[in-house]
Amino acid sequence: MPSPAGYAVAIAQAALALLLAPGLVGLIRLFKARLQNRRGAPVWQPYLELRKLFAKEVVVSTNASWLFRAAPFVVFTSTVAVAFLVPVLAVPSPFDAVGDLLVVVYLLLLGTFFLALAGLDPGSAFGGMGSSREMTVAALSEPTVALAIFALALGAGSTNLGQIVARTMADPASAVSPGYLLAFGALFVVTLAENGRLPVDNPATHLELTMIHEAMILEYSGRYLALIEWAAWLKVLLFFSLLGNLFVPWGVATALTPASLGWAFATLIAKLAVLGVVLAVFETRVAKLRLFRVPELLAVSFVLAVLAITVSFLVR
Amino acid sequence: MDSAFGQLAVLGSSLVLMCGLTLLWRRGSSAHIAAFAAQSVALAATAALIAVFTGSRELWLVAVAFLGLKGVLMPILLSRMDRRLGGPRELEPYVNTATSLVIGGLLVVLAYIVTRPVLEVSRLPTRSGMPLAMGLIFVSLFVIISRKKALTQVIGFLALENGIALLAMLGTYGIPFIVEMGVFLDALMGFLVMQIVIYRIQETFESIDVEQLNRLSQ
Amino acid sequence: MTSAALPVWMVTSYLAGALAACLFPRGRLARWLTATGAVIGGASALALAGAELMRSSLGGGQEAFHIVDPLSAVFLAVVGAIAIPAALYGVGYTRAWEGRRSLRMPGAMLNLFLLSMSLVTLADGIFWFVFFWEGMAISSYLLVMTEADEPGTVRAGNWYLGMTQFGLGFILAAFFLLLPPDGSGDFTALAMHAQTLSPGLRSLVFILALIGFGSKAGLVPLHVWLPSAHPAAPSHVSALMSGVMIKLGVYGVLLFGLRLLGGGPAWWGGLVLVLGAVSALLGVLYALMEHDLKRLLAYHSIENIGIIFIGVGAGMMFLGYGLPALAVLGFVGGLYHTINHACFKGLLFLGAGSVLHATGTRNMEEMGGLIKRMPRTSLFFLVGAAAISALPPLNGFVSEWVVFQALLGGSAIPQREVAVLMPIAVAMLALASGLAAACFVKAFGITFLGIARSHEAREAHEAPVTMQVAMGALALGCVALGAVASAMVPALGRVVAGLAGMPPAPATAVGWSLGLRLSAPGAVGQISSLGILLGLVLLLAAIPVALWLFRASRALRVSDTWGCGRIAQTPRMQYTATAFAEPLRRIFAALYRPTEDVSIDFHPESRYFVQSIAYHARIVPWFERYLYDPVIDRVTAWAGGVRAIQSGSLHAYLTYLVAALVILLGLLLLWGG
Repeated sequence: MPSPAGYAVAIAQAALALLLAPGLVGLIRLFKARLQNRRGAPVWQPYLELRKLFAKEVVVSTNASWLFRAAPFVVFTSTVAVAFLVPVLAVPSPFDAVGDLLVVVYLLLLGTFFLALAGLDPGSAFGGMGSSREMTVAALSEPTVALAIFALALGAGSTNLGQIVARTMADPASAVSPGYLLAFGALFVVTLAENGRLPVDNPATHLELTMIHEAMILEYSGRYLALIEWAAWLKVLLFFSLLGNLFVPWGVATALTPASLGWAFATLIAKLAVLGVVLAVFETRVAKLRLFRVPELLAVSFVLAVLAITVSFLVR
Repeated sequence: MDSAFGQLAVLGSSLVLMCGLTLLWRRGSSAHIAAFAAQSVALAATAALIAVFTGSRELWLVAVAFLGLKGVLMPILLSRMDRRLGGPRELEPYVNTATSLVIGGLLVVLAYIVTRPVLEVSRLPTRSGMPLAMGLIFVSLFVIISRKKALTQVIGFLALENGIALLAMLGTYGIPFIVEMGVFLDALMGFLVMQIVIYRIQETFESIDVEQLNRLSQ
Repeated sequence: MTSAALPVWMVTSYLAGALAACLFPRGRLARWLTATGAVIGGASALALAGAELMRSSLGGGQEAFHIVDPLSAVFLAVVGAIAIPAALYGVGYTRAWEGRRSLRMPGAMLNLFLLSMSLVTLADGIFWFVFFWEGMAISSYLLVMTEADEPGTVRAGNWYLGMTQFGLGFILAAFFLLLPPDGSGDFTALAMHAQTLSPGLRSLVFILALIGFGSKAGLVPLHVWLPSAHPAAPSHVSALMSGVMIKLGVYGVLLFGLRLLGGGPAWWGGLVLVLGAVSALLGVLYALMEHDLKRLLAYHSIENIGIIFIGVGAGMMFLGYGLPALAVLGFVGGLYHTINHACFKGLLFLGAGSVLHATGTRNMEEMGGLIKRMPRTSLFFLVGAAAISALPPLNGFVSEWVVFQALLGGSAIPQREVAVLMPIAVAMLALASGLAAACFVKAFGITFLGIARSHEAREAHEAPVTMQVAMGALALGCVALGAVASAMVPALGRVVAGLAGMPPAPATAVGWSLGLRLSAPGAVGQISSLGILLGLVLLLAAIPVALWLFRASRALRVSDTWGCGRIAQTPRMQYTATAFAEPLRRIFAALYRPTEDVSIDFHPESRYFVQSIAYHARIVPWFERYLYDPVIDRVTAWAGGVRAIQSGSLHAYLTYLVAALVILLGLLLLWGG
């Protein structure tokens, strides 16, 4: 029976994820800027953006309905709910019994679903385009995610997140097994696709015809936009936490002592920073793909996931 | 399988296979040549790895030969050929890219099923990489039959030879050096013949689209 | 009332409803009487099934009159539960027929349809099963033909009738092969006789049953009647056909696979699994390209039947390999998805019917902005769309989760070559569910959101109260069925237990949030759908509080949609359904082989000005063109040849009679003597 301390830690870790997310994105942007020979805004710039947006007035289209106003809340809610389930600081979380890795994936799909609907609501062409492309990319990355989950769950005997982490910690050699590495590669490509990073989608573009995620939220402003942006940044942090803590789980606290929690916090920062730097370098290196080359990239990630399954499943 | 040697062997074989799959993904000739060069380097590294763990001197020689001949010399020859031939950078293959990749994945699964009897029997720690080598052989065959540009087919053939070499190394810690070199020289001969044929095709049809060969029957 | 009286109530009220429709063909009284008969019949069916399920769960009590086992009770419950909202919906829906159509046939046939379906589940012998199966087929055919004046209905009805008879032939063949020598058609006798048959014969029986019942369920490649027949019927009938009738195909497969044949070799399950996965993927891929709302929903029924058969197939495979705990999971996943699909598909068809009722068209490209004109309908449709897209915490997600967990257990299968089917099925299931979400963003978004694209959409009115109540009840059902997962899964496990020697489900309810814990070897999972629901609701409520605490601005202004500096926004500037699905059409072009026709009318004076553009897009219907059309052509040619004997001459016919008599006498002499 999970203790009150366990619940407190779980709630604290969700709050921590929420607080760190803008900083993570700020770090990625700063590093990309430096790589491109620019000074770049400081790491805390996204926090200032959020503060600005929350203070601004919201402009809503005449064609929009209640769905347009509700969607930012639904997106934010589903992403924060995922923050409770993903192992950020400590395992096993008391919310492990509520949702496993499949629940995480489909909760994120819930957010995408409502955001896509909100893109269609104001009746603009850009919104429809963004929704169409976003749902295409989301649908095509589903098989990869499912197979990667299958590969991880095979080793751990369950889709339960705490159990996957525990199993990798108990058997360090499995972390460098080809199955895990291939699954990591597949999930890394899915991270790029699901979060709208290069080469799938450029988060900093201003050209509407090249947008996927940005086109869907073109009509949003003020506090609605703040909620959506914050949810998107939180999604990046959660994906990084999954990549970091499922595949390289050392540092995650197994006991709820201050020392292990502090160590968990330090390793979390380190993993996020490393992954952020890797992403920044990768984004600077590659160019954005045409929309109809994105399925090819997703097919590559699917093949990686298939290889992960065959290597870990068929050789037993 | 669980020993470090086994894991690293599988890792090396995976890298070799993934370079082979890149032939299905990327479209330009320069990308294909780079993939082949990387594949040969990975193959040489795997050979060196096996040489380190088994202490075989022959395999060191093989590794150096692969690195020099296949990792450096052949890519140079291939890019020279590509420059001379010119032609369109990308030709639409018979099967589109995403479908080819999915078929490639399924071919690897097929390779696993086909090599299961061998895996049961073998006692070598490198046996887990053999299905991946077999997969590379299937994938290279698929590249040869599904691509239209003759240069890509040649690269597919060379990747096939890489796959066979990898399979031999993983399955028996390498075949005798003489046999290895013999096989390699056969491949080199085949490559040079293909080079001459491709130049002749280019002169006759002004393109190296192998579909144009249909015109010979008219 | 005792449970023995319930069947009597059920039969009587259905017959009374049918009779009322015959006696009073028009008017408000007629509509209400018909519906009341159906509602009471449905409620009795539900109560009867519920009593039987309680008895099997908790033990004790006497066996309800005529129910053979809990599996029938589950399907009877589905019939009864969906009958109630559908009948209630019919009251408001058929008001539009006042003066144009008589209520006699549709009302009577509705009650008889529900009656036959209920009695099919209760039948315990060949004769009654086939009798009510045919009754169901004929009454539903007549219901499909209600609006026979609409174009395409007659053709849809013909296809439907043809396919049901085709399926019936195979079902009869399967039954007769199982018939014991003493000719008793009782199911227990059949099951005992089945034990004595050779494995080859048992497999033949299963294949015949799979073809026969699969054509009713809509498994690829026997699905072609579904997308034309379901849209052609009136909407509450479509809901019943899609939500309930095709499930009886699943019931038939389970009847043969589990109860009569008692399980079989694993390749049976593998075949079912493969057919299910292919149906799931093809169903959703064809649904994506539809812009007729009801055809889209019909193709999605094919997809969900595929998902159900993935669960059933996995269960049968595990049975064949001697892994009963995992087999239970597969069957429970399939049964749970059956119930859930009935609920949300019924809701979606009723919603589509409301839209049809309000705008007079099923074409999505002519709708838009309906969320403001029909707020409650759109809310209920949204719940249905979210449920079918497998979004937590609704019911569609929970049953797909159980199916995923069952497939995950595939690592326990000893034969690796076969076990690799499981990850492939996982990938196909995930792709199908992702594409379903994309498809329903399109369906809901283009129909209800944005700006109205036609005059009818601009003038649409909200549905009558009876229709709203029916839809609301089903929407509530979707939420509730998801939340009680921790009770449903063990209950369904008890239903399946005992069939073919399976143990109860390896599932228990744990924790304060009534989480569901599965503990089969290789498939250990835990989820709490109620917890997810509560968590989401709490967080959703917390956000405005947090915003208020942090003094976020509350200012809001309404203005035009951003249009790159343009001033006017017309409905033609929005995305259309065809445009929304276009990326996927291009990506899957190898399957669709799309062709496009663009014809442009230029201004007579200058080619720089365009007067109108007409765009036609077509996809190749593979199954119709390459499988069914050749067969139909050959049959038609043969029939044309046979027609030669119908010369119209009386002498010729008399000669045929005499010749037949002479031949018969000759044969009798030959064999008798």
